[in-house]
Amino acid sequence: MLVERTLVLLYFAACIGIGIAASRRVRGSGDEYWVAGRRVGTWVNAMAIMATLASGGSIIGVMGLAYSQGIPATLALFAGAVVGFPLASLLVARELRNFGRYTVTDFLAFRYPSQIVRTLVPILIVVAFTIYIVAQLKAAGITAETLLGIPFEHALTLATLVFVIYVSFGGMVAVTWTDVFQGVLMLVVVLGTGLWFLWEVGTPIELMRRATAAAPELGRVEHRPVASYLGYFAIWATAIPVIPHIVMRVFTARDAHGARLSLNLAMLAYSALILAAVFLIVPVGKLAFPDLADADQVFLKVMQSKFPAAVRGMAVAAVLAAVMSTTDALLLACSSSISHDLLGNVLREKASQRTIDAVRVGTAWGIGLLALYWAYSPPELISQFYTAGVGLLSGSLFVPVIAGLWWKKANRIGGVLALVTGALTYVLVHFQILPIGLAPILVSLAASALAMAAGGLLGTPESREMIEAIEKLHAP
Amino acid sequence: MLKSFFPMDRDEAFALAFLVAFSVFSFLPLWRSQELAGMAVFGWLMAALMVLSPALALFVFGRRGRLRKR
Repeated sequence: MLVERTLVLLYFAACIGIGIAASRRVRGSGDEYWVAGRRVGTWVNAMAIMATLASGGSIIGVMGLAYSQGIPATLALFAGAVVGFPLASLLVARELRNFGRYTVTDFLAFRYPSQIVRTLVPILIVVAFTIYIVAQLKAAGITAETLLGIPFEHALTLATLVFVIYVSFGGMVAVTWTDVFQGVLMLVVVLGTGLWFLWEVGTPIELMRRATAAAPELGRVEHRPVASYLGYFAIWATAIPVIPHIVMRVFTARDAHGARLSLNLAMLAYSALILAAVFLIVPVGKLAFPDLADADQVFLKVMQSKFPAAVRGMAVAAVLAAVMSTTDALLLACSSSISHDLLGNVLREKASQRTIDAVRVGTAWGIGLLALYWAYSPPELISQFYTAGVGLLSGSLFVPVIAGLWWKKANRIGGVLALVTGALTYVLVHFQILPIGLAPILVSLAASALAMAAGGLLGTPESREMIEAIEKLHAP
Repeated sequence: MLKSFFPMDRDEAFALAFLVAFSVFSFLPLWRSQELAGMAVFGWLMAALMVLSPALALFVFGRRGRLRKR
């Protein structure tokens, strides 16, 4: 355990070091703190986006799911997010980058000026993302407990303190630098492991043939109907273009073209990660350990049985990196929702720069510690809750954002109605207060679109100034 | 009807339509039972979608970038 623990401690020290270095650059500047000065290059942004999307679920979870429910169903879940990025690059990236502010709330509050939008959007973000952070922390705690032999609470506390330190002091600059470092680590470990097995066996097709001959369920869709995966696919495909921790990455790009390229380069890297995991590592795990009681252990078992301690230490660091690279971006998005979206106007009018800096740091610590406290005894179904949280954001924000950018008849009343109807419908259907036999996301998106159409067609037409302002956002 | 929307570049509109069409096509129930190299065709289509969708978008934006430079 000594080698593994030393490597993980070195990784933590590197993250804190990056945070401290970044804190000097961001002090006293909103642009630097929230969007890294809007000068992150295409390749760096791409790697940071890939790391932001690749959470603990993208390493441990994807392999566990493929092992227990088969590769086709697993790919259906993860393909939604991948398709979401080209959609984001086609529908929102150029326009939001040209808009040039900090958050998705900034855009919605500009497009639909209303106190309801200004208040409800940040509240939805904070609720959904706090649940998401708790789920990620739980994954980090379980991984460290299993592979490093550290008690769950200690591992949780250590990992939380590390990322709260670098996020609170280093803002988006620290998040970007650490995400690049974490993304490279993830790719090296997963692709390296996959390529090693490929070199041993020959081709992925041969590996698949052997694995599916021994365990035919690996290649079949027999656990749930395909239609049930359509909901998950739709949640992620529609969430990515509007979900704040991804949208913030659009604002950090040097220009609109760079933002669009980086979103799609990130997805090529992410797809390589997921495909290597399910087509190269899972078949080896299935052949070597056909009857695991806990499917999520498959990656850890493969690493333990096939590689020396130094590689295992890197694997643990890679899993923690996956968790932390997502959690840091979520924490920054939550923090911006409170200190920029909710308190921003008051602070700008009445507070000194020093107070604004202190509020940013304090907000990140407040949310981080709240999530840590909750993660000590998380609800059992937390991983289902976080997908529901993302669904809630998608169901409420997708239509107002897309219609606000592309439909000339979208107006203030339509935007407010679409936002409230989407959120309300999602909650009612998800908790089966409204028992409709369809995925909540599909119902809420349809309801939100109808509300937008009703508001847009029956309400007061949008002003010429607003139409011209939106037209400018579409400029190449 | 189309005048109610802000115009979209033709290549980008094509890419968007292709992505939606490919996604719908992949979820057709037919692909559940058909197998190729031990795996349901549905799985291969999902894997193809994961590679094709960002590659297509990169092709469209790359082409647009090159045209802009000329």
